[in-house]
Amino acid sequence: MSMTQPGAGAGAAARAALDAARDELRTEIARGAGGRTALEGHAARVDDLLRQLYLDAGAPERPAAVIALGGYGRRHLSLHSDIDLLVLFGGRIGPSEERFLRGFLHPLWDLGVVVGHQVRELDEFADLETDNPEFLLALLDARLVAGAVPLYERLGAMFHRPATHAYIVRSLLKLIEERHTKFNATLYQLEPDVKEAPGALRDVMAARTIASLTDPLLLRRGPADPGRFEDAEDFLLRVRSILHLEAGRNQNVLNHELQEKTADVLGYPGAQPQQRVERLMSDYFRHARTVARSLEWARRTAPVPVGPNLGLSRDGIRFLDPVQAARNPGSWIGAFQAAIDAGTEVTEEALSCIQQHVDGCRPEDFTPEARDKAALLRLLKPRPGLYARLSQMHDCGMLGRLFPEFQAISWRVVRDFYHKYTVDEHTLLTIRNFERFTNTGEPGRQRFKTIAAGIPSPELVVLSLLLHDVGKWRDDEHALESERMAVDALDRLQITGEARETVQFLIRHHLRMSLSAFRRDTEDPEIVKEFARLVGTEDRLKMLCLLTLADIEAVSPDTLTPWKEELIWRLYVDTYNQLTQGYGDELIERNQAGLIELLAGRPHDLPEAEITRFVEGLPQRYLQLFPRDAIYRHVRLARDIRPDEVHVSLDVVDGVWTLAVVTLDKPFLFSNICGVLSSFGMNILRGHALTNPNGLVCDVFQFTDDERFLALNPDAGPQVLHILQEVVSGHADVTSLLRGREQSVLQWRGTARVAPVVRADNEASGRYTILDIIAGNALGLLYRISRVISQHGCDVDLVLISTEGERAIDVFHITKAGAKLTEAEQRALTSDLQGTLEGTL
Amino acid sequence: MKLIKSIVRPNKVDDVKDALARLNISGMTVTEVRGHGKQKGHTAIYRGKEYNVSLLPKMEVEIVVPDSIVDEAIKAIVEAARTGEIGDGRVFVFPVLESYRIRTGEKES
Repeated sequence: MSMTQPGAGAGAAARAALDAARDELRTEIARGAGGRTALEGHAARVDDLLRQLYLDAGAPERPAAVIALGGYGRRHLSLHSDIDLLVLFGGRIGPSEERFLRGFLHPLWDLGVVVGHQVRELDEFADLETDNPEFLLALLDARLVAGAVPLYERLGAMFHRPATHAYIVRSLLKLIEERHTKFNATLYQLEPDVKEAPGALRDVMAARTIASLTDPLLLRRGPADPGRFEDAEDFLLRVRSILHLEAGRNQNVLNHELQEKTADVLGYPGAQPQQRVERLMSDYFRHARTVARSLEWARRTAPVPVGPNLGLSRDGIRFLDPVQAARNPGSWIGAFQAAIDAGTEVTEEALSCIQQHVDGCRPEDFTPEARDKAALLRLLKPRPGLYARLSQMHDCGMLGRLFPEFQAISWRVVRDFYHKYTVDEHTLLTIRNFERFTNTGEPGRQRFKTIAAGIPSPELVVLSLLLHDVGKWRDDEHALESERMAVDALDRLQITGEARETVQFLIRHHLRMSLSAFRRDTEDPEIVKEFARLVGTEDRLKMLCLLTLADIEAVSPDTLTPWKEELIWRLYVDTYNQLTQGYGDELIERNQAGLIELLAGRPHDLPEAEITRFVEGLPQRYLQLFPRDAIYRHVRLARDIRPDEVHVSLDVVDGVWTLAVVTLDKPFLFSNICGVLSSFGMNILRGHALTNPNGLVCDVFQFTDDERFLALNPDAGPQVLHILQEVVSGHADVTSLLRGREQSVLQWRGTARVAPVVRADNEASGRYTILDIIAGNALGLLYRISRVISQHGCDVDLVLISTEGERAIDVFHITKAGAKLTEAEQRALTSDLQGTLEGTL
Repeated sequence: MKLIKSIVRPNKVDDVKDALARLNISGMTVTEVRGHGKQKGHTAIYRGKEYNVSLLPKMEVEIVVPDSIVDEAIKAIVEAARTGEIGDGRVFVFPVLESYRIRTGEKES
């Protein structure tokens, strides 16, 4: 087929080429050979035609590609099938590209060819088209006919992603269901549609698609041998070709009239037409049944793609390509993650693959990139299935390679009167127990479930549990040895800062809570204070509490009795109260340990005296709450501060903003800061307000910018800080700023789902009245609370702000005229606060 | 023979065991128990909510000793378990009529 002449001559040549191709196909069909080979030949002739038209159309400015889709892409182009095409451009479609399209498509239309065409720019494939699964299915058969090869390859790279494949499989299964329903889900139709009916050509394609996207070898293991499946397809194609030839159009229903003609063309024997037809239809049903059974097999057994080279099958998560998996240990963690996500296990086949290839692996082979290290930490989040998957990981030898420290305690036997399991199994059981505490339905353990829910990074507890006993490879003191060994693991995982210190703390002190609870007189306030000083913060207390319970319960089934749980709980509560209510009485003094270390590591620009002046008189808790760098920053903020000045810093890490405010105390200060943040729609998550005896205030808030005000406006940060300075110094009124937000505040009042609790206490602290407030978290909540407190003439000296889910938990240390509140003052204040939170005031 | 049953603070059990060991009393039964005497428990506040902890965790230590060392044993327990605060516990003494060793069926005098 040669079409070198543009214009009318070219049109005539194209017509001649198309007619010749069709005549050739008609001849093949008429002799009963219109199956796969004939259709492939026809598709090749049409390819030639399109390539010529592509050349004749003249190259556009942008790279272009003509791509065959669907049946044409598979080279199964029947006589009257639509020619499905994608015309793809490597950039924005402009006049040049439109001219090309006219030059390419108009001659096709003039030929009377039915073209199903899509015109797209490459960038359109950046996002998955979830509203058009049929188009995505057609794209699976994409085949370059003419144009730019690199453009076609880029399309392939953008399209063939695990998420896309998974979506296509899900969509295809749904489409099959819908299509079969139209045929009453039976293939035994008297006048079957050889394209759409169950067991017909679309099912052939569906079975192949499921296999190609999930397990290329799937159909080989199916109920029909591959030869029978191929024969069935060829038979159906031959029948369809005859239908097209006889009807002269895209006819796919094998009706009674066409059954006779088809039987004749295919040469079925029989004296009477009815006999020939019966033989034809008998063959049809046999082939259709082969297809239907293969598709059903594929539907039932195909692994659903759930990640790179990972599939979910009936027996769990498996590697779709074990050879590729064997070469890439970095993909193995994903298999365990996918199994937990899907609530299933990693298949024996996949575990064998890992076991066979794990021996030479180093820890870094499993987590080559930073994202792999993050994925490992995500894997350790406690949820049902974690223990079971880690056990599988251990059994196949991967856990010991991932954590060589853990390998040191594999099958390690330590003889004592308590432990009933080897050290490695005890360790894994601690993780199971922690996992259970986080999801327990036992009424007596709901209190611990609540504590677990308040732990901000529970995966750090799991990591600590995994490493807490690795030092038991030696026979002497193991906690310090475990911590020493854990340092290597933390280095490898690049866990730094507070997270690193927390893990080391939990490992080093993993026996301290049980020691204090069971062996010390916890009714002695000094014992509780000492323990509170050790843990330092509520988060660490929660972590240590759950770690302790999980550890004790893993000793033997009978070790953690309700009696012991009660002792742990009581120590937890007393320590929590000490940390949140009693800490105001313990102030930083000269020559105390934390201060000496702070001074020793100070930067050159900060003299000792300046640091001491800033921190002296603040609660001791301050030194444990903030890392040294943050404290040095606060000291700098306090430098040369004058009564009307407000010094602030604003930073963001992982979407959480931290605002530090240093100023001198004044009425409504805390309330005003909260009000400004609320006026910009900021959601305050955590915070600390601290005051030293000289009236120097250091307030630190962590908040999220849910409305993305700071993210979307480049000058938003300075604007927030400016308004803050204006309000705190008394030059602007926060009430007017908040007016626009009142509507949402009113809405919140009507939908509160947490019953507010307000409680005042004069016993917990020697200097302050403590206000415990639990309420549903809402925009402006802190502003409203603190405003009521200020309106009652109280000074807010210390505040702890925290949120757990939709609950806000705030503890205020307040005084009035320098003293604790009287009973009457407490009643009046709590009554007003209760009314405010319930929306009745 | 006497059965001496003492209710002590959990953190005092080791001290009591050590004190009895010094009297060569090594056989004992230790049980986790809960209860209250004059101490009567108290109300713990956690996050603004009250938790009633009226039954306090204690340890029960039981020993059976010859009449000749009953007074010494009681004295050892009391001294080891005492803090001077309410909630230190109690010691009860019961007569033991007969005692049999299960392994041999032998009656002990």
